[in-house]
Amino acid sequence: MLDAFRWLDERIDVAGLRRALLDRKMPSELSWWHTLGSATLTAFMVQVVTGVVLAMYYAPSPDHAYDSIRYLERGVMSGALLRGMHHWGASAMVVLVLAHMVRVFTMGAYKYPREINWLLGVALLFIVLGFGFTGYLLPWDQKAYWATAVGTNIAGTTPVVGGILVKLLRGGSQLGAATLARFYALHVLLLPISLGAIVLVHIALVVRQGIAPRPHVLETGAPQRTDHPEYAAYYRTTYQRSKSAGVPFWPQIVAKDLVVGAGVVLVIALLAGIYGAGLEAPADPTDASYVPHPEWYFLPFFELLKLVPGSMESVVAVGAPAAIVLALLLLPLFDRGSTRSLGQRPASRFGMFAILGGMAMLIGSSVREEAPTAVAPEVGRPLTSVERAGRALFKRQQCGGCHAVGSEGGAEKGSDAPDLTEVGLRHSGAWLHSFLEQPERFHPDTKMPAYGPPSLSHQEIEEITRYLASLRGKNWATATPEFRDTFPETDQRKERKP
Amino acid sequence: MALLQWRESKLPSPPEPGPALMPRRGFLEFLSGVCAAIAAVFIGLPAVRAFFSPALPKPKVDSWVRVADDVALLDVGVPIRLDFVQTVEDAWVESRTLNSVWLYTEDGERFKAYNGHCTHLGCSYVFNQERKNFFCPCHGGEFDVKTGEVIAGPPPRALDDLKVEIRDSAVYVDYRDFRLGVPERVEA
Repeated sequence: MLDAFRWLDERIDVAGLRRALLDRKMPSELSWWHTLGSATLTAFMVQVVTGVVLAMYYAPSPDHAYDSIRYLERGVMSGALLRGMHHWGASAMVVLVLAHMVRVFTMGAYKYPREINWLLGVALLFIVLGFGFTGYLLPWDQKAYWATAVGTNIAGTTPVVGGILVKLLRGGSQLGAATLARFYALHVLLLPISLGAIVLVHIALVVRQGIAPRPHVLETGAPQRTDHPEYAAYYRTTYQRSKSAGVPFWPQIVAKDLVVGAGVVLVIALLAGIYGAGLEAPADPTDASYVPHPEWYFLPFFELLKLVPGSMESVVAVGAPAAIVLALLLLPLFDRGSTRSLGQRPASRFGMFAILGGMAMLIGSSVREEAPTAVAPEVGRPLTSVERAGRALFKRQQCGGCHAVGSEGGAEKGSDAPDLTEVGLRHSGAWLHSFLEQPERFHPDTKMPAYGPPSLSHQEIEEITRYLASLRGKNWATATPEFRDTFPETDQRKERKP
Repeated sequence: MALLQWRESKLPSPPEPGPALMPRRGFLEFLSGVCAAIAAVFIGLPAVRAFFSPALPKPKVDSWVRVADDVALLDVGVPIRLDFVQTVEDAWVESRTLNSVWLYTEDGERFKAYNGHCTHLGCSYVFNQERKNFFCPCHGGEFDVKTGEVIAGPPPRALDDLKVEIRDSAVYVDYRDFRLGVPERVEA
């Protein structure tokens, strides 16, 4: 053991490496917030390890992608857990990258001399989001397909280059086989290589420059601005003093990083074990009624697009991300005040809380809005895609103008149109379908218009039927339907007979 | 400057290296090791299990294949090659593969069935009419028709014989593949 160490040491100076990496001193009083960078790295390692094994069980082709994921979930030991960890690890990465960024921002750590590392960090943030966007498509289920359809369409609204951009993203004009192969290549080749390379430089710079101490350390007696001729000298002496009074990286700092790292891994594994990654029905490009939802970290952007009028959409869709990128890139170059504590940087404080607050509000409003789609209140459970289509038709055809469902609709008090809150308990689907097509056959003097072709197609009638059949009132879970279907005695077929 | 010094006096003084520090340092090293191990196990275990999943024994599937409809139509004393299509679950793809067995009988009652792959490297062998034995064209292996034993060439073991059953005058073979190129007979 000792001989092996000496053998290595003579050749590659392991002891020197150890002195430079592990024994180097760090400013004391580093907070727990300083562990967020290494926590992000830990989450990235989770993604690398789980991702490599996932790739062994994945086929990037629309014919097989979904089946291969299902095989992984059902036929491979720990397959579901592995995929769950990759899924939750992705969210963890976004959370941790953002938290790390907020930490660096609030402590003014992006200021002299760490501007370059801030810029690299901004690049890393967008690579992580790129991972999220490309990875979302790979399972090729409904959610994946439709969220990517919308996502690429947003890129398509870019002025001038939109048309080319959407074709570049999709590998053609339609979302399909070429898109999947393209996203896969980006997700497992280009993005990991870019991320790995930039992370290496990012960390090498931290080792070379030393970690930024708490803000107050670099404020006392500092020149007003970091581009002041004496600031460099001030910084060097102050930082050196703080460092020499500090603690060695190993084991003091490493222990903290590893405690947080282990916590991150445990949380990811726990979420994966409890919730898994979820797999919806296979992608169906013909099911236009599917309402896609992007991954939560794209929600603020998605929600923002809902708030702007259509004519402004392309401006916001491209302008908002561009403005954020530009602001993040320009921040360290223009903000040269030497004050680092957020408490004494009112403009920065306002900007940060405005952006974070805005994002939180957008996510919040989006979640609130999603709730009714997740569980339809009048039905008491999530609707199937056919039922959702039926409900959309129900609204479009103004059925609620006469009929009440729950507390909604049935405008006129005196309206004698039946309350449909529990119609699914009274009538079978077959009866409802026939009735919708030709109500006058059932009640000759009904005010209900006939919706059969040509006003609605048979399929649309069936969609409304399925929605109506799902309406079972407040006690939907326990109530048993008692159909009181009465069909008109004169059947059409009989009538047609000579 | 005075302010700066005041600030510094507020900083905790750096721990002096000495015997008193050793338990703390030792504890931190221990803690680091434990946390690193927890992270490694929770990341590594599912990955390793999923990676090794294909190497574990699979539940047995019925491997009996109907290779001939009427036993009475088979030649006696001359081996016959029977091809059949098998539907195989290949991970997430259901594929159909063409396999073959050689069937041989001397009395029309007792049958020998051999896996159609040469035990050397898996080529399909043929029946040599002149020398009355099986001949593999890839590397010149020769096998005895009655027993499957190696007569000449590089094959490491006799042909893999399979169980045969006659049910309602149809011929069924318990088709299995074995590891190739090794002297012992191990199922693949």
